[in-house]
Amino acid sequence: MIRLINVTKHYPGRHHVLREVNLHLRKGEMALLTGPSGAGKSTLLKMLLRLEGVSNGTLMVNGVDLSTLKRRHIPAYRRRIGVVFQDHKLLMDRDLFSNVALTLQVAGLPDRQVQSRVRAALDKVGLGDRLREYPATLSGGEQQRVGIARAIVHTPEILLADEPTGNLDPRLSNEILDLFRDFHHHGTTVLIATHDQGQIDRLGLPVLRLEGGRLHAPEDHQ
Amino acid sequence: MNLHIRIEAGRNALSALGRQPISTAMTVLALAIVIALPVGLFTVLTNMENLLGNWRNQAQISLFLHKDASPQAIQHLQKALAQTKGVVEVRYVSADAALAEFQKHSGMVAAIQTLGENPLPASFVVQLDPLRYPPSALQQLIGHWAQDPAVATAQSDLHWVARLQAILALGQRAALILAVLLALGAVLVMGNTIRLHIAQRRDEIDVASLVGATRSFIRRPFLYQGLLQGAVAGLVAWGIVVAAFYWLQVPVDRLAALYGTQFNLVALTPEQGATLVIASALLGWLGSLLAVGRHLDHTFA
Ligand SMILES: Nc1ncnc2c1ncn2[C@@H]1O[C@H](COP(=O)(O)OP(=O)(O)OP(=O)(O)O)[C@@H](O)[C@H]1O
Ligand SMILES: [Mg+2]
Repeated sequence: MIRLINVTKHYPGRHHVLREVNLHLRKGEMALLTGPSGAGKSTLLKMLLRLEGVSNGTLMVNGVDLSTLKRRHIPAYRRRIGVVFQDHKLLMDRDLFSNVALTLQVAGLPDRQVQSRVRAALDKVGLGDRLREYPATLSGGEQQRVGIARAIVHTPEILLADEPTGNLDPRLSNEILDLFRDFHHHGTTVLIATHDQGQIDRLGLPVLRLEGGRLHAPEDHQ
Repeated sequence: MNLHIRIEAGRNALSALGRQPISTAMTVLALAIVIALPVGLFTVLTNMENLLGNWRNQAQISLFLHKDASPQAIQHLQKALAQTKGVVEVRYVSADAALAEFQKHSGMVAAIQTLGENPLPASFVVQLDPLRYPPSALQQLIGHWAQDPAVATAQSDLHWVARLQAILALGQRAALILAVLLALGAVLVMGNTIRLHIAQRRDEIDVASLVGATRSFIRRPFLYQGLLQGAVAGLVAWGIVVAAFYWLQVPVDRLAALYGTQFNLVALTPEQGATLVIASALLGWLGSLLAVGRHLDHTFA
């Protein structure tokens, strides 16, 4: 599902962030991406979203070679992925419904389907009765759950998250990560960047560790 | 492309405009004024042309003939006159007919009779469409006729027509330059407004592109905003021109009455108005297209 072969990444005028990284995450697998600050976790996720290009090597997602993906095909590619950010990136001037609906609207789904699927997604994260509220009236954990609803409302094949629990206390972190695990059990491929050691220990998931530009991963994930 | 996506984009554009009613109104008004200026000028010129058209039937040249001009020479001249481009009518006024007319208008029957002999010359009265000629050619034409051996003197009231025509040509050129410059101004005003809207909605654009919005999906609401504001500005400009002409009609009536005539100003025909609205909508659309094109490039880099 996600496959990196000798992927190298450097930002213009900078030393290498990733050097010849190899990674294999199969369909339906869930893994944690970890490593010290500045190791390149966010960079790797941005490359998977095609927000950043690959400097060298091959990056295959869902059978799509991102190193050669044409610009006009990027939107369709992104619609097959769900992504959650640490700062959740909710639109503060839109209610929860509109925030989540955006994912479906950009794909051109008709109104009726948008209605029912957005409701279902918000139900799943436990906010089904607060459709018309605005993000500012929500707690940090609730905001993050809206971000997750937006990421999964279109039932993506891959779910990426960049430190989704960074600002949350341990209890809320457990809650959020259990949500991800729930999607994983339903067949979604999940990759979460985190440096929350408590969660890493608790979940017992494969750990991919980035350090000094190299990726340290279990044998069967290389 | 699905209709509901366009409807959604239209709703999005309307709500974006509605959230900032004052700035929207100011943009529309600025555009309307910018557009009303050249349109108003064009309309004034059109009215002056109409005015010239009304008077051009009266634009006539009198060619007074030599007393001793031979009938052949006169006939020859008549033929030449009739074949000249722009000549509407050639009328021969014999000396007797001239005398009869003079007596009828002046009533100086006794005075003429004391002269014994008819002092008035025969003449050709030539009716000419002055718009068929550039001003200089008109002068040349009259000069040419004056040189004819049968003609004693040529008298014309065409000079002022020629001058007016020259002024109109100048005005049209000036209006065209103004129109091009102001259309450019309208595009820039629109572009700048849309640029501000884009900056305000940067987050929305970024999130939309992260979840897979295409360039045209993101662009569409902004294009509709430009189109809509342009169209409304066109309507307002139309209103401004009509109001201005309505206001001008009063002094025009007074002026026309002094000349014993009547002249109705025509502001804009419905077709011209519709063209104005469409053109202005397109200018708005173009302005936002340019702004959006530049500012989306780094989102999709
Ligand atoms: N747009 C960019 N231009 C230049 N350098 C960048 C850019 N983005 C990231 N970097 C650099 O790349 C390196 C990796 O950054 P990245 O954000 O991927 O780290 P990270 O592992 O996510 O760190 P953190 O845990 O703090 O989020 C850093 O040294 C960073 O300064
Ligand atoms: Mg990071």
